[in-house]
Amino acid sequence: MNRSRNDRLGALGMLLFAVIALLPIGFSLGYAGAYSVGWAGLLSEGFTLEHWARVLSGGEVWRAFGLSLYVAAVTVALSVSLALALALFLRRPLKEGPLSYLMYFPLAIPATVAAFLVFQLFSGAGYVARWLLHLGVIADVSQMPNLVNDPYAFGIILAHVSLATPFFILLFGELYETEKIDALTDAARTLGAGRRDCLYRITVPILLTQSFTNVILLFIFVFGSYEIPLLLGRQSPQMVSVLTMRKYALFDITQKPEAFIVALLYTALVLALIGWAFRSGRAGGRA
Amino acid sequence: MNARPASLRPRRLLRSATALLLALACLFPFAYLILLSLAESWPFPDLLPRAVSLDLWMHVLTGPSALGRSFLLSCALSLVVAFLSTAAGFVTGKFIAYHPRRKTLLFLAYVPFIMSPVILGTCLMYLYLKLGLVGSAAGVALAQTMFAYGFAIVFFSAFWNPRIKALEDLVFTLGGSPFDAYRRVLLPVSKGMLLICFFQTFLISWFQYGLTLLIGAGKVQTLPIKVYDYVNEANIFYAAMASCLLILPPAALLWVNKRFVFNEMREG
Repeated sequence: MNRSRNDRLGALGMLLFAVIALLPIGFSLGYAGAYSVGWAGLLSEGFTLEHWARVLSGGEVWRAFGLSLYVAAVTVALSVSLALALALFLRRPLKEGPLSYLMYFPLAIPATVAAFLVFQLFSGAGYVARWLLHLGVIADVSQMPNLVNDPYAFGIILAHVSLATPFFILLFGELYETEKIDALTDAARTLGAGRRDCLYRITVPILLTQSFTNVILLFIFVFGSYEIPLLLGRQSPQMVSVLTMRKYALFDITQKPEAFIVALLYTALVLALIGWAFRSGRAGGRA
Repeated sequence: MNARPASLRPRRLLRSATALLLALACLFPFAYLILLSLAESWPFPDLLPRAVSLDLWMHVLTGPSALGRSFLLSCALSLVVAFLSTAAGFVTGKFIAYHPRRKTLLFLAYVPFIMSPVILGTCLMYLYLKLGLVGSAAGVALAQTMFAYGFAIVFFSAFWNPRIKALEDLVFTLGGSPFDAYRRVLLPVSKGMLLICFFQTFLISWFQYGLTLLIGAGKVQTLPIKVYDYVNEANIFYAAMASCLLILPPAALLWVNKRFVFNEMREG
């Protein structure tokens, strides 16, 4: 009796989640799908695959997906490897002392502020250029390399890496303790393993395996990020979120179906990624 | 005997230097933004502002101002979103954690949490327009709650484990009601997790830009919207001031709750 009443509260919560989140999302994606094939919207003239054909045969969307994949992959690789190296090298300072407090500060910086900071620091007349000028590294501001709105997305990647690295440093530090890596490496050393063996066969594999879900989530978040590429990216190609928003907000309403197609392609990719993480048993497992 | 410490000295020095650099890198954004918000003039190529004053801070903190209003609006929105999503995520997370189809339901909970708010917001616009929620604080709060709720469910689904269930069952075995179980066992046991989740969902709402821009239609002027508005106007001193208002409260809270906040993050 008690249990069923208790479950009823949870079922009510699930119903609430369905009403607040799942149904609106399902409806919206359905609407986006209908709009993209001409079944809905101001331009609807019956079923057509014309918009899909135009998007899939054009280069703009593929360039946007390519740029987003590149930025997400480089950000993940740089953030995770840098965080791993720092977390292992600075294990003691990160555990006790001022750094153990200061490492939490960057977590209070949102993407909007990170983008503004990178813009202020690395643009042509930014703070870095001022220092380089004073130190005599460059003689004129025109010699400052283009690090913001650049073709290699340096600014976008730098902003993302600076946001993600502190999180992963703290995460690896926490995992190091909870996974009792010290005890495991001590046991391995007793059995004759060298320092390098311990690092590459025990420490790094455990930390990467245990943080796999977070790595996937970071990839997905960066792939769909908006604020940072909006300020630090170029007009073309644009990252997926920026492209979707631009096509949606244009006065030219013939672009709207394309915005929905980009959104649907993005959704399919994200669902496939998280589905893969679930199937591999890394996400959704009980901790 | 003495050779070993001597050979380790350069490594120790390198470690100290790296730790110092990392500490400075953590503090630099705060110092730079505060300095920029205090600057009255900072022409190129000066390394420091030519003049600083507290005028901007005094204006925002003491009288009615657009930034002050945005700060209060952001506070109110984030508190509402955090309260709703934490409370609802707590019970829904429990339902999902003990459900036979746990993985499927958890997968669904991940969907709003991981999707790009801007892309999902673009698709949601039609529905919100039809419901008359676009351009209102209520619409923004509802849209943000959708994302924060997904996070809260994922967060709590890891908390509801066999040990918690055994404690709850013990209350029932001893004749307690579900109300007793929540009041005397589950809420006291989960107090820390509830606070962490409240803080995290508060931040999700506090930092949200794209979704607020879309659903708020520019009328709901939260702090992240203000930062971008000032950046677009090339008003860097006001942008720095808005950034300070955006990052200093969570930084202070993180400082206070340092040992508390992070331990469960990897569950996400």
